[in-house]
Amino acid sequence: MIRGFPAFVVRAVRAQFSSIPPREVFVPQFVDAGYGSLMLLTILTFFAGLNLAVQSFGPFSRIGAQDMLGMFAGIGGVRELFPVMAAVVGGARIGANVAASLANMKISEQIEALEVMGIDPIRYLIVPRIWAVTLALPLLCGYCNVIGLASAYGGAVYQLGNDPGTFVHQVMEQVSAFDLAAGMIKGAFMGWGVGLISCFHGYSIQKRDGAEGVGIATNLAIVNGAVFCIVTNLLMSWIMYG
Amino acid sequence: MMGGVQRFLSFLGAVLIALVTRPRYGVETLRLMQVIAMRCIIPVSLAVAPVGAVISLQGVQIFQLFGAERLLSSFLGMAIFREYSPALASVMVAAQAGSSIAARIGTMRVRGQIDALAVMSVDPIRYVVVPGVLACVVITPLLSVLTNILGLFSGWVFAVPLGGIDHGAFMEHLTEQVTAMDLWVGLIKCAIFGTGVGLIAGFLGLAVERGAAQVGKAANDTVVSTIVLILFTDYVFSVALMEAGL
Amino acid sequence: MAESSKAPTETAPAVELEHVSKSFGSKVVLNDVSLRVDRGSIMVMLGPSGTGKSVLLRCLVGLLKPDQGAVKVFGEDVAALDESRRADREALFRVRRRFGMLFQDGALFDDMNVAENVAFPMRLHTRLGEEEMRARVMDKLARVGLPGTEDKFPSELSGGMRKRVAFARAIALEPDIVLCDEPSSGLDPVMSATLDELILEMHRTLGLTFIVISHDTAEARKIADTIGMLANGRLVTYGPAKQVFEENHPALNQFFTRATQGPIKVV
Repeated sequence: MIRGFPAFVVRAVRAQFSSIPPREVFVPQFVDAGYGSLMLLTILTFFAGLNLAVQSFGPFSRIGAQDMLGMFAGIGGVRELFPVMAAVVGGARIGANVAASLANMKISEQIEALEVMGIDPIRYLIVPRIWAVTLALPLLCGYCNVIGLASAYGGAVYQLGNDPGTFVHQVMEQVSAFDLAAGMIKGAFMGWGVGLISCFHGYSIQKRDGAEGVGIATNLAIVNGAVFCIVTNLLMSWIMYG
Repeated sequence: MMGGVQRFLSFLGAVLIALVTRPRYGVETLRLMQVIAMRCIIPVSLAVAPVGAVISLQGVQIFQLFGAERLLSSFLGMAIFREYSPALASVMVAAQAGSSIAARIGTMRVRGQIDALAVMSVDPIRYVVVPGVLACVVITPLLSVLTNILGLFSGWVFAVPLGGIDHGAFMEHLTEQVTAMDLWVGLIKCAIFGTGVGLIAGFLGLAVERGAAQVGKAANDTVVSTIVLILFTDYVFSVALMEAGL
Repeated sequence: MAESSKAPTETAPAVELEHVSKSFGSKVVLNDVSLRVDRGSIMVMLGPSGTGKSVLLRCLVGLLKPDQGAVKVFGEDVAALDESRRADREALFRVRRRFGMLFQDGALFDDMNVAENVAFPMRLHTRLGEEEMRARVMDKLARVGLPGTEDKFPSELSGGMRKRVAFARAIALEPDIVLCDEPSSGLDPVMSATLDELILEMHRTLGLTFIVISHDTAEARKIADTIGMLANGRLVTYGPAKQVFEENHPALNQFFTRATQGPIKVV
């Protein structure tokens, strides 16, 4: 299923930067990707932030550093956990939707219908979707950083009895504007990749694949998108912090 | 909403009854285990291995702050064994196996194969859902053993050769602080998460009525709702274990 | 033959295929097919499933490229156009705009309601105002016998209604040629007869050229001016309907009599 991906990327990226996406397709896609993921990511980051505090409390107290949770949430959470979680989970949800809708359009001949009407489906369907994910994911990463820090604060202060002043002080000391920007830059890259991957898997489905094809496209988009995000995150962290 | 909960509970009841009564479809279960293991092994490895690397990458800096680089390995060990390996391996099993199980069952619904099974007096829950659940329960912890090793190894790469920490100190603190309890906690969590993946995938797959679009939606919903479940359960677990002092 | 409301000025036939061949891997789906469709006629291409009828349609609009041969639409060779070249792509899109296509299951856009579906090609290719567009949508929907459905979504319609909306969309830009991919498949006999009458009606009132692929012999008898038969990749017979029926080619006869033995091999 990976065959044809490079050619697809070349075609899609060329179209992406040579035309303005049609607004009537881009706007609903962007709203679905961004606003549509808010609820899910709020719940997830809330638990992830609490968890970050609670889980690190054990190991940290074994080495006598139980007062350092703020620093840990600052570095571990903001630099890594919150953005990557936003990208993996948000990307899975958005990518699955994109792949499923394109695959469904493919098997019901809606994409051929566009071509017969003289409309290039790459420009009309693919490009706005790629832009929507590329622009929505960095915003979601930034949002998750805020929610995650807030819930880590809640966990550390109210549940584990850390000193609120120390926590805030450590976060302010450890988290720079660069870290916040880095999270969003990572988000944009991961969003771009998720957009290309999910569009590719959805668009590769043929009419004869039927309902099964929609399932396959969805599955591949989720899995390959998630792996892409995690590996990209490591590489980008390595470049920026290594 | 209440209707959905009620349907899920009666689905759960049917699965439980199918688990404790005959007939059982052992061959189908083994086949699914093999399929799921083969399909998951690469994505799960690719997704979890970088986590050890990221912990070391950022951890070296944190521990340097108070001159305790040597302790990095003990933190890495606990974080990998107890938390990140089980949670992420399960998330990836949800992404790969969960979505494909839901899509497969959904496709069978659309094509009328589920009805065909019922007409042939084969209970779809017994034949299609239960093997999937059992396969997830068994395979997820096994994959997590593998990812434990990969996570530690990638952590080691970023701590010792790339992070400048002494190899001897890394190994010493790793074995000193990581207990068998850490490993067991991780494995039990995986088995529980795996159960959730199998159950949700089966339930949402069977809920498909018609149309290819619903198949995609079932696969997507399975992943999203299992990830929420995994993170929530993980938190409850952490709190409970902390209270119990484990 | 009714007079055409907007007769093209050129004199070339609507469609002309010259020695067209197409294979997928080792499977030959079109083997040296030549035919010509006159303007304002209804051509029905019969043939068993999987014999390249759909491939033939897709070659006409340039969705597929034949391995050999020329596909001329109003004299322009579609097969020679290379979609990756800008000038050719524009030429191809210009040709495609002369076509309307009715897909097998309608291929309506799920996320748009009926009116938006029918208006879609107008919105993209014309500069009509909203009111003018609305009026045309109403006119097309009335023509296919579905007034008052404009706010419904495709998922709320029956199979026959979906096809009729797709028909309205296919004629939205007032094309010269309408391609119909198995118009009667999946419909009950009464609904497919309704669709046939719709084709005849459009032909009479708008003077459109129709190219219909089908495996429904009753449909062919009812609407065709010209009949062709594809079997095992070859065009086994082609000509005016009356003549083809009289000639009674074995493959066609097998099709009409639903015999399992004959030149059409059941695989």
